[in-house]
Amino acid sequence: MDGAHDLGGKQGFGPIEVAAEFIPFHEAWEGRGWAITRATFRADWTIDWWRHVRELIDPIDYLSRPYFDSWIQLLTAALIDSGALTMEEAVSGKAASAAADSEPMPPEAIMEIAATAARFDRPIDTEPAFKPGDAVRTRSLGAAGHCRLPAYAQGRQGLIHAYHGAHVFADDSAKGDKHPDHIYSVVFEAGALWPEAEGRRDRVFLDLWEPYLERA
Amino acid sequence: MTSFDSEKIAEIHRQLHSRLPSDPALRVKAIEGLLIEKGMIEARTIDAWIELYTEEIGPKRGAHVVAKSWLDGAYRERLMADAPSALDELGYLGHATGHLKAVENTPDIHNLVVCTLCSCYPFGILGMAPNWYKTAAYRSRAVRDPRGVLAEFGVRLGEHVEVRVWDSTAELRYLVVPERPLGTDSWDEAALTALVTRNSMIGADRDLSPGAG
Repeated sequence: MDGAHDLGGKQGFGPIEVAAEFIPFHEAWEGRGWAITRATFRADWTIDWWRHVRELIDPIDYLSRPYFDSWIQLLTAALIDSGALTMEEAVSGKAASAAADSEPMPPEAIMEIAATAARFDRPIDTEPAFKPGDAVRTRSLGAAGHCRLPAYAQGRQGLIHAYHGAHVFADDSAKGDKHPDHIYSVVFEAGALWPEAEGRRDRVFLDLWEPYLERA
Repeated sequence: MTSFDSEKIAEIHRQLHSRLPSDPALRVKAIEGLLIEKGMIEARTIDAWIELYTEEIGPKRGAHVVAKSWLDGAYRERLMADAPSALDELGYLGHATGHLKAVENTPDIHNLVVCTLCSCYPFGILGMAPNWYKTAAYRSRAVRDPRGVLAEFGVRLGEHVEVRVWDSTAELRYLVVPERPLGTDSWDEAALTALVTRNSMIGADRDLSPGAG
């Protein structure tokens, strides 16, 4: 979606607070908010639905509220949507009924969960359309739903840098459909992306699914 | 049942915006209490996740991988060819590392990692992301003005150095392998591990020479 989350290349945000001391969670609520999300992922959600629910937060809130607050808001919204909570429960903080369909994650389970690296590669019965070195152009339009082709790289010409097989396609996975498509690292000269970067020796690499690409 | 309906979620967000307290600490306290009361989470599990990512899972893992790759050419080859397997050898496979790629800095190449669309990060080997990595300033500027961003981190690159920015738009994740600093030939793995900074593995630090920081 063409939302406020799509920040690559947007101007006006100013310097980066590089000197801030690293603390995993600056305030206690941040750690608890993050950990609650780790403990409540539901079987019918996908990582892309999760990301999409976050990017659907009101753009003013998305850009101005604290980072982990957006996680708590997206979790609450997704639980309400899935029927695990009601809006009244979320607003009152009081349970109207017990959970119908989920067992809580026990603390003993987290080591194994934390040591599991989810994989998104899947078998596919089509051949990839491109190979490394091929010139490609990205789709010039955005998408109404979840999409992982950022606005700054739409309608731009680049080269296939690497082919990675087929991964679950994010746009459809955000709708619950976990079918795969071919995925590539595509490299763009900075000068193909930004008017002020003409001739600069820099390149930007994005991981893009085949439906985002056409032959250039 | 999950709706996968964008409009429905947007409406829920609008209601939450107007009906929840503004203070995030109050929001978290309320949702935690509610989910415990409904039997959906256990407080001990919340404590355990925080402890795990505060005490155990952090950039020392990535630093160990980098130091080992400096000392052991065969390990470095395995890391560059199949990073998840190389992590698994050290027991470090974990969250968001299933499709990890290692990218090497050289005298002529500097790598920088960003997620412009959200905040993707290889948590399993670097732990929680630093705050700056998640800011709109970093996410917007890293792809457009990488040299300006790097200068703010104190990294100044010559014109001959190519900057490669990796925007984590899918499930691949990137680990920058910084260059081994000169004058560390006799250093052992533990000493080298201690030299490798979190920021260097994201690309926001470059010269790891002892005393350079």
